Amino acid sequence: MATEPLAEQPGLAGPAAWELEAEREHVHGLGPWRLGLRRLRRNKTAIAFGILFVLLVLACLAAPLWAKHVAHTTPDANHLSDTIKLNGKTTNVVGLDGVPIGPTYKGKFFLGADPNGRDIMVRLLYGGRNSLMIGVVAALMTTVLSVVLGVVAGYFRGWLDLAVRSLLDIMWSFPVLILGVALGVALALGGLQIGPITIGGDSLIIPIFIIGLVYVPYMARPVRGQVLALREKEFVEAARAQGAGPLRIMFSEVVPNLASTILVFFTLLIANAVLLESALSFLGAGVRPPNPSWGTMIDEGVDRIATAPHLTVVPGLMLVLTVLSLNVFGDGVRDALDPRAKVRLER
Amino acid sequence: MGRFIVRRVLQMVLVMFAVSVLTFLIFNVIPNSDPAVRMAGRHTSESTIQAIRKEWGFNESLPKQYVTTMEKVVTGDLKSQFTQLPVGKEIVKGLPRTFSLAIGAALLWMFVAICFGLYSAVKAGKFADRFLTIIALIGISMPVFWIGALMNYYLGFKLGWFPNGGYVEFTKDPIGWFYHLILPWTALAILFVGFYSRVLRSNVLDTINEDYVRTARAKGLSERQIMVRHVLRNSMIPIVTLWGLDFGAVLGGGAILTETVFDLQGVGQYTAEAIGQLDVPPVLAVTMFSAFFIVLLNAVVDIMYAYLDPRIRLQ
Amino acid sequence: MGKLGRRALVLLLAGLSMSVIAACGGGDDSGDSGTGGSGGEAKNGGSITMSQTSQPDFMDPALTYTVNGIEPLWLVYTPLLTYPRTGDAEKDSLVVPGLAEDMPTISKDGKTYELTLRKGLKYSDGSPVKASDFEHALKRVLNLESGGSAFFLGIVGAQDYIDAGKCDGDIKGVVTDDKTGKITISLSDPDGSFTNVLAMWFVGLVPGDTPCKNLTENPPPGVGPYKVTESVPNRQFVLEKNANFPDLGPDIPAGHIDKMTTKIIKNPQRQAQDVISGELDYMQDPPPADIKPEVKAKYSDRYREITTASTYYMFMNNRVAPFDKKEVREAVNIGLDKPALARLFAGEVAPGCSFLPPGQPGFDEALDVADCPWGDPNKPPDIEKARQMIKDAGVAGTDVTVYGNNDDPSDKVTEAYADQLTKLGFKAKPKILDGGVYFQTIGSAKVAPQTGFANWFQDFPHPKNFFFLVDGKSIQPTNNQNFGNVDDPEITKGIAELNKEPKMTDEVAARWGELNKKLVERAWIVPYGHRKLATFLSERMDFDNCSRFHPVYFNDYSSFCLK
Repeated sequence: MATEPLAEQPGLAGPAAWELEAEREHVHGLGPWRLGLRRLRRNKTAIAFGILFVLLVLACLAAPLWAKHVAHTTPDANHLSDTIKLNGKTTNVVGLDGVPIGPTYKGKFFLGADPNGRDIMVRLLYGGRNSLMIGVVAALMTTVLSVVLGVVAGYFRGWLDLAVRSLLDIMWSFPVLILGVALGVALALGGLQIGPITIGGDSLIIPIFIIGLVYVPYMARPVRGQVLALREKEFVEAARAQGAGPLRIMFSEVVPNLASTILVFFTLLIANAVLLESALSFLGAGVRPPNPSWGTMIDEGVDRIATAPHLTVVPGLMLVLTVLSLNVFGDGVRDALDPRAKVRLER
Repeated sequence: MGRFIVRRVLQMVLVMFAVSVLTFLIFNVIPNSDPAVRMAGRHTSESTIQAIRKEWGFNESLPKQYVTTMEKVVTGDLKSQFTQLPVGKEIVKGLPRTFSLAIGAALLWMFVAICFGLYSAVKAGKFADRFLTIIALIGISMPVFWIGALMNYYLGFKLGWFPNGGYVEFTKDPIGWFYHLILPWTALAILFVGFYSRVLRSNVLDTINEDYVRTARAKGLSERQIMVRHVLRNSMIPIVTLWGLDFGAVLGGGAILTETVFDLQGVGQYTAEAIGQLDVPPVLAVTMFSAFFIVLLNAVVDIMYAYLDPRIRLQ
Repeated sequence: MGKLGRRALVLLLAGLSMSVIAACGGGDDSGDSGTGGSGGEAKNGGSITMSQTSQPDFMDPALTYTVNGIEPLWLVYTPLLTYPRTGDAEKDSLVVPGLAEDMPTISKDGKTYELTLRKGLKYSDGSPVKASDFEHALKRVLNLESGGSAFFLGIVGAQDYIDAGKCDGDIKGVVTDDKTGKITISLSDPDGSFTNVLAMWFVGLVPGDTPCKNLTENPPPGVGPYKVTESVPNRQFVLEKNANFPDLGPDIPAGHIDKMTTKIIKNPQRQAQDVISGELDYMQDPPPADIKPEVKAKYSDRYREITTASTYYMFMNNRVAPFDKKEVREAVNIGLDKPALARLFAGEVAPGCSFLPPGQPGFDEALDVADCPWGDPNKPPDIEKARQMIKDAGVAGTDVTVYGNNDDPSDKVTEAYADQLTKLGFKAKPKILDGGVYFQTIGSAKVAPQTGFANWFQDFPHPKNFFFLVDGKSIQPTNNQNFGNVDDPEITKGIAELNKEPKMTDEVAARWGELNKKLVERAWIVPYGHRKLATFLSERMDFDNCSRFHPVYFNDYSSFCLK
């Protein structure tokens, strides 16, 4: 398992552990891929959770369909004074004392409403789109940055390596959650203007940017470690002897050999990014209302946990299922691609 | 060793400088709002705002403001813009609470993770291992504020088994202190238990196959003796170092979410409130304090690592 | 949770204090209007535990400007003038002599106020009260850049004193004589609300040697039924009975409970749960929407809601499209779904469309509800008509950013308002800011907000305290409180004239009422209701006999007693 708790949220302990993992990863040609696939296919649990994740993503992608054809509403539409027919009885969507309707398990308000009379199911699906989008894009950003930094540092060594390592050390020593929240809150006031680019205070770019940066040291360090080992390998030597430039070697020889590490990290990064997004949103520094995300939905729900517990429970469950499916699948992929997993199992 | 210390001290200074500059910039450059106006409150006059500007030096250039603020950090004169209370005193007031949360949760997660991890490794591949693996992964996948809020409401209020949040001072009522912290400890520990038990499991599996363990087995030591004396001790090294780092992070105000959900009013919650009010001095102090702790514990961990595992030499 | 230290009410930073409507009733759930005045059987003694959601901004009379600080501190620091505590809402909103012997003698031109200090008064620490202490208390307000200083700038020399920046400087317009106890105050212009201003907690008397600094951690002695004996910011503060409290007449009584410990508990749900279980005896905020259904159902014998002198409204920026058009503002007034917004307050708002709230002189109940020019505020609006008007004005499809803060339920109200504007034909998007910076942000001309959430709780029962929010003269580039830049020449002129009236006669009140009517009819803003506050006590408290609700300062701690 290569995810660690970031203080308390998407947790983290320290790059030490990830480096440990990386040490264990083996360096070899493309051969193990097929082997890995075969091993993965045998891991029924991992496959099942992988499928679950795909289903969750598809469901969230289908949000507009559900909203339009089943719930007949939009994620932001309030239904404060509306009533619906339930078992022949006319019921307020939101009671006079502000208590919203619970799950109806029918097309409209399938999972009930929030205090604004908005359809929870619709918001859940749209919120999932936001949460997953942030997760994937942030993970992508982290991966690209980490690979570039890690490869450059590991390949060139010397002062470049020292500079990158110091940068990572500094980033890693930052109280990330505090600074992330501070940045989110400050930006929410008026957005940011850098030259001709204006970022609105409610832009999703802000949480993506924060999350994308936070995890860079966690991935860049192990990548660097692997590159250090790789650059001494025969095939790199061979390429160098043939006169290939550093750029060519890096991208055609070194990076492909990092593929399995990158794949595993990417999966787990999405899981952690989704969790961190929910934490930022819960603290009011992530996705801005009325945009839904699972984190903001939990945040809004906690205020009504006694009268409408479904507002807290449902988005939380979606979040747990998504992150869990990614974690189990990522774990399975890692085991499958790590040839020593077999060794480890025998006693 | 001397060079190591020098490097770490340099790193610490550098990090704290970077953190303070960044915090300062975040709050002074980005928000589209004037701190003097924020401080004056809603019903006020232009002359009051001018007076505040003068007294707090908001008219000065940014670098000068930064230097003045840092002077106050050093002399301990830093005051909140919002409440005008000394920041240092408020942090010290929150520390026992944050420390209580951190130490209890850290011991709990360590203990449970060792049990889970060992058992899982011993039963590797069997049902119990798979079951514990899934449990661990579920733990890692749960947002602490979500499980915390659910525990607080259902166990704390609905069933009334535990207090519904809050904190009691240890010196006043040790039993109440313990009782109030059970839920926060558990909520915070769940996450780490999952992660630590996974790391321990794979470490144990690696160690079991080492030569010296085979030798020990060949010598005819009992399975129990081998586990405790050889396998566990060696597998614990990375875990202990991780533990140090995480403990430092939580202590440095990293437990914002847990403190907020359970209303513990420690350093984390204090920071969260200050951030919301764009109150620069407290956030500046806490981020620096936090960075200090992280770098410090990082160094301690590195030293410990080298000490425990002679194969690694400090660069 | 979340949103970084949430306040349950928007009271923070807003001017506060409220007023029970004398003729209250209305939609209140418990018919009686907070006049659970103490009968003869109020028990003395005992100690209780209370809670607040946020730490008082300051535990210093010169500085505090939130209800968290005012509610306890007005019982510790009595000013020269004050409000009675009898339980009769109408009587309690009229200023009476506090530490002064009598009401001030006001000169013919309305610019000079003369008062005399009562003889033989002592602070809670036993030291004697001197006339010059008034000037010192005022100096602290001005020198400490208090949020209250704006009220006293009409005093001659106040501005010069602030500019000098010296605590021991002199305020030209205040002359005191310690021997005779005479205090003379000169104003540069007549101010009809000045007796109300003199009754504000800011100028509650403190000893003349009280330093000019924030004394939150060590509040100075005062003259009042209680004294502060402990104050640990963000944790708790303790009020104990003041043995040196002088007899100020039957309308300004001493307290019953000996010791009141107020804890800061950030989670309002937890406070309500603790009052239910008896761990707490009183919570300063109303029980949150989440727990209220249970409280109302099971504990209605110790729960009461009272409408306060407050107004919740949406401001519309008259200087920014599309709200620079009168028809558009009218359409929003017609189309705003007020009962829907009331649901977001869990019923804690009495829908109405008058800007002046009940309890203020000049308030007209008919205008508020029955004769509201924009339709009955308790019924769903005519959305079609409003839609059509917006279409006709040619602004359908305009982008509108709706500002709001994150205090529960303002954030939800803002989101609902944005959605309603969308239904009226705009493309509206809410923008939610932290409560701690909200009003300062929307008061900036640079931000130029189009429309958004606003509210005001009275500082004292005088319309001046409301009309500065819509006074063309109070528009300024920063820290603007006239968020919508309302500048109706007739209203602005009327405010200037009425501010000078020294006495609140029926005729003056009626003229304020006229201004209010014009404001509402000309659709300058969209008022939608008046906030209700609650009293919720523990089982062991004597709710029926001992829970006075004060029209200006809310729950009156000095009325509390145990069963």
